[in-house]
Order: sequence, then structure tokens, then C-alpha cells
Amino acid sequence: MRVYRRVKVWSVLLRLYHWAFALSIITLFLTGYYIHNPFALGPWEGTPTNFLMAEVRFVHFVAGYVFIAALLVRIYLLFFGNQYERFTDFIIFRPRNLVRLFHTVRAYLYLGEHESYGGHNPLAGTVYLCVLVLSVFMALSGLFMLYPEGGLWASWGVTLFGTQQIARLFHYLLFWVYLIFVMIHVYLVVWNDIFGSEGIISGIFSGRKFLRT
Amino acid sequence: MSRLFANGLMKLRRRDFLKAATIATAAMGLPASMVDKVAAALKSPARPPVIWLHFMECTGCTESLLRTSHPDVATLILDLISLEYHETLMAAAGKQAEENLRRAVEKYRGKFICVVEGGISTKDGGVYCKIGGRTALEILKHVSADASAVIAVGTCAAFGGIQAAAPNPTGAVGVRDIVKDKPIINIPGCPPNGYNILATIVYILTFNKFPELDELNRPKFAYGRRIHDHCERRPHFDEGRFVEQFGDEGHKKGYCLYKVGCKGPVTYANCPTQRFCDVGVWPVAAGHGCIGCTEPNFWDNMIPFYEHVPGVEVPAGQGIVGKAERIGKFAIGAAAAGIAIHAAAGVIKKATTKEKEE
Repeated sequence: MRVYRRVKVWSVLLRLYHWAFALSIITLFLTGYYIHNPFALGPWEGTPTNFLMAEVRFVHFVAGYVFIAALLVRIYLLFFGNQYERFTDFIIFRPRNLVRLFHTVRAYLYLGEHESYGGHNPLAGTVYLCVLVLSVFMALSGLFMLYPEGGLWASWGVTLFGTQQIARLFHYLLFWVYLIFVMIHVYLVVWNDIFGSEGIISGIFSGRKFLRT
Repeated sequence: MSRLFANGLMKLRRRDFLKAATIATAAMGLPASMVDKVAAALKSPARPPVIWLHFMECTGCTESLLRTSHPDVATLILDLISLEYHETLMAAAGKQAEENLRRAVEKYRGKFICVVEGGISTKDGGVYCKIGGRTALEILKHVSADASAVIAVGTCAAFGGIQAAAPNPTGAVGVRDIVKDKPIINIPGCPPNGYNILATIVYILTFNKFPELDELNRPKFAYGRRIHDHCERRPHFDEGRFVEQFGDEGHKKGYCLYKVGCKGPVTYANCPTQRFCDVGVWPVAAGHGCIGCTEPNFWDNMIPFYEHVPGVEVPAGQGIVGKAERIGKFAIGAAAAGIAIHAAAGVIKKATTKEKEE
């Protein structure tokens, strides 16, 4: 019989980040898609006004700020979090993590034993890091469009994107990246929960995972 | 030309003159108390010499300027400045014209303003645009070297314009890519509003300095705000009332043109407030979305004009330009297929190992 111990992996701050990030992304998806392609259910003249687009944009901006706050928390934890939360735990530029990456890919291809490392496996960690970098661009392009006349954002925006139109294109293309990321993320988490022994899903609620002794 | 002479050039009625001074003052965002100062600058006998160069362009900027009236902006601008060289307006031709240019540059060395209309070809030594045997590149470098400042009128001069659109066969660029050592003001637009040109020149004459410029060297009084934020159709946007296609019920009712590709939300210009053609009209008022003509590379980035996100070049896809949405859907499909295959592989593996166990 295998023996497992329950280990505290995710701090309260990380769990708060995760759920703030997740819920803000869902909200941003729904409102963002309406802003991109508003469906024609808006009130026609003669009906009471409800400022649908204005309200949806308001929700989008509030969710955007939650997203940015969560992003900043995660960036802070990458450097100052616990041992599992720091980027050094899963960055692939370490021999230990390269070996782990190899094992993870093998396990995902049904070719090897499923192993658990406590924190992120290096494959997931690398993807999360990429998503965080993309999130910075998502936030910057959003702020550039939100503050078209703001001195700071306008000059940053022009330097990074050139024009508002290109910022909008980036913002829109990244929307699809997040959609794909969320799909794969949810699938793999469920997959890991079924085939692994960590209890990965309950872990993001309780902060504790089951590791082999 | 004959019309300008028929107007008698200087014989603008005082009423029209003050009207124009007031419009220019308002365009600069200055209070009414400044009208006198602007009018004084407009009347000033000290007329700055201007050399107006034409390169790769359609002359639409000059033409649209000359076709204004009540009050006649072109007359005002031409009164305000001492135009030493302008290929569309001058009487001289051929060698005589080139001689005028040479003499003007010598006579007003370091004092004249160089106005440029049109993009500049740089490929193959700039042979794709030649005037009097010299390339546009040579002429611009030669003239701008002695200018006090350069004003790039129109999107071609500011950012390269239509000839700089992909694949840019002539290597066309804007003035800012050639002239590095002179102050540049860009007044983009296709064409730019005549009053923005007038107000910029009047500002320089009134205050003896440049107006405040944005990141792309455009005067902030004219290009400081997005079209969307001053648009008369904005309430329909906020309400969620959109034109679905041209000619539909929403279009007839004057709803927002966002869904048919209006680029107002990503374009900086004062079109909704300054308007065109002296009758208070502009594209969105007339029922057509903004195409973003004051932004860099708008021929590449703002197309398709009737959709609000540009086409996307697929990397390594042999230059296939597709709709961003189509690419997104394809990627989603690929990810879903990947997940399905992965899940199926798991199920198959489980089934086969079970068989072995049995």
C-alpha cells in the first residue's frame, strides 16, 4: 500500500490569485466577446434605454483591473512566494527540471509513470510563465485603449504597438490564446486529478496536495 | 489658379477673415480672447517663406485645400505665407521652375518652412520618383537641410501613405524616416483638414513655437483625441445599437457604424468637431465608417475597411492573410482535436491494459 502525506503547497495569496485570475478571465471573455462582436439585442428606439455596451464595457474594465491586480500578485509570488511558487521551482533552465520535463511529457503521452513534484510540473510551469508574459501585454494593450489620451499610456502604447489598431489586434488575438489555454488547462487538470495522486483540483482550494512518502 | 486671382488674393472680406481667424483659434483649442492675436498674426506683413514639395502622391491634399470656401482657407494660407515654390500653383515650368527652387533655397537659407506633400521612394536609390532629373530623396535632403522646420502634409508625407502599403514596391517612406535633424510636424489625413494646416501655421506665427505634439509629431489640438470619443453616433454605441449592414434599418436610423468596420475607436483626429467641406459634414455623418486615414500604415492595418480587426498574416503561411477570427477558430479546433486525441489515447490504453490484466 502506498503512503501519502498531505503537504501545504499553495499559500492563501496564491489561491486568491488563482481564483481572481480565473474569474476575471471568464468575465473578460464574455464581456470582451460582446465588445468585439455586439449582438443585435440592444434596445431599439422607443424602448427604455439601458446602455448595454456602456455597461458591458464597465464590467470589462472592472474585471480588467482585477486581472491586473491578480497578475501583479503572481509576479510577486514568482520571486517571493514559497518554494513551490517561485519560478526557480519549475523553470526549465535547471537540469533537475529538464529531467522532470522529460518525465512529464512521457507521462502525458501515456508512456511513463505519473509523478508528482508538489508544485507545478515544468511543462505546466513553462506554459504558465508564457501566459503571465502574454498577460502583461494583454494588460498594456488594454490600458492603452482605455486611456487613449493618458500621457504615460499613450507614449507606452505607441512605443509598444504603434497604433491603437495594432493594440486592438493584439488584444483580440490574445483573447483566442486565453480561450485555448483555459480549454487545455481545465482538461489537463481533470486528467491529472484522475490519473495522478496529488488531488490537484482540491489542492487549489485547500492549498494542500498529497505527495508520496 | 484663375480663381485665386479672381478673388484678388488679398481681397477677403473682413467678416470672412474674422470668421476664419475664429475657426483657426477654435481649432487650436484656444479661448475666444485669443482671436485678436490670431487675427493680428494672420494680418502680419512678415510672411514666412515656404517651399512646398510634391513627391509620390495624388495632389489630393493641395486640391482639397484649394476647394474650400466661406472663408477660403487656401487663400488665407496663401496670404499668410510667401509661397516660393509649389508645383501645382506656380506659373513657372521646366528649367525655370527648378531655378526658382534653387534660388528660393539660397535666398531664405535657414528661414523657410519646407512643406512636403507625398511619400518618398527610397528603393534602388529612389529612382521611382524623379523631378527635373533628381530623385525625390535627393530633393528632400537638399531642401530640408536648409529649412527651419518641415511640415509633412497628408498621410503620404507623414507615414508613407498608399505607396508604402505592402508590398511597398518602391520602398516609400514618410518624411520622418528621411529627415532626422529638423523639427517635423505631421498633419496626416487623406486628405488632412485644411483648417488643421491653417491652424498649425497660424500657431507657429502667433506664438513663434510649435504647437504641442503627440508621439507621432501630430499637433495635439487636432490629433489629441480619438474620433470615437467625439462622435455624434457615440450614444448609439453605448446603447448597443449598431448598423449590421449598409442600408439596413439601423443604418437608416443613423446607428453606430462599429460593426461595419468604423475605425473611429482607434483613430486620432478632430474630424467629428472640425468637419469638412464648409457644410459641417464628415464621413461618419454621411453614413460611412472612419477608415483611420490619419494613422500610420493605415492601408495595411485598417483593412478590411468594413471589419474592425485587420487581416492577419499567418507566419510561414506563404503570406496568407486571413481573418483573425478564422485563425482563432482554427486554433481552437486544433486544441480541441488535441484534447480529444489525448483523451481517446487514454481510453484505448486503459482498454488494452485491462485486456492484458484479464
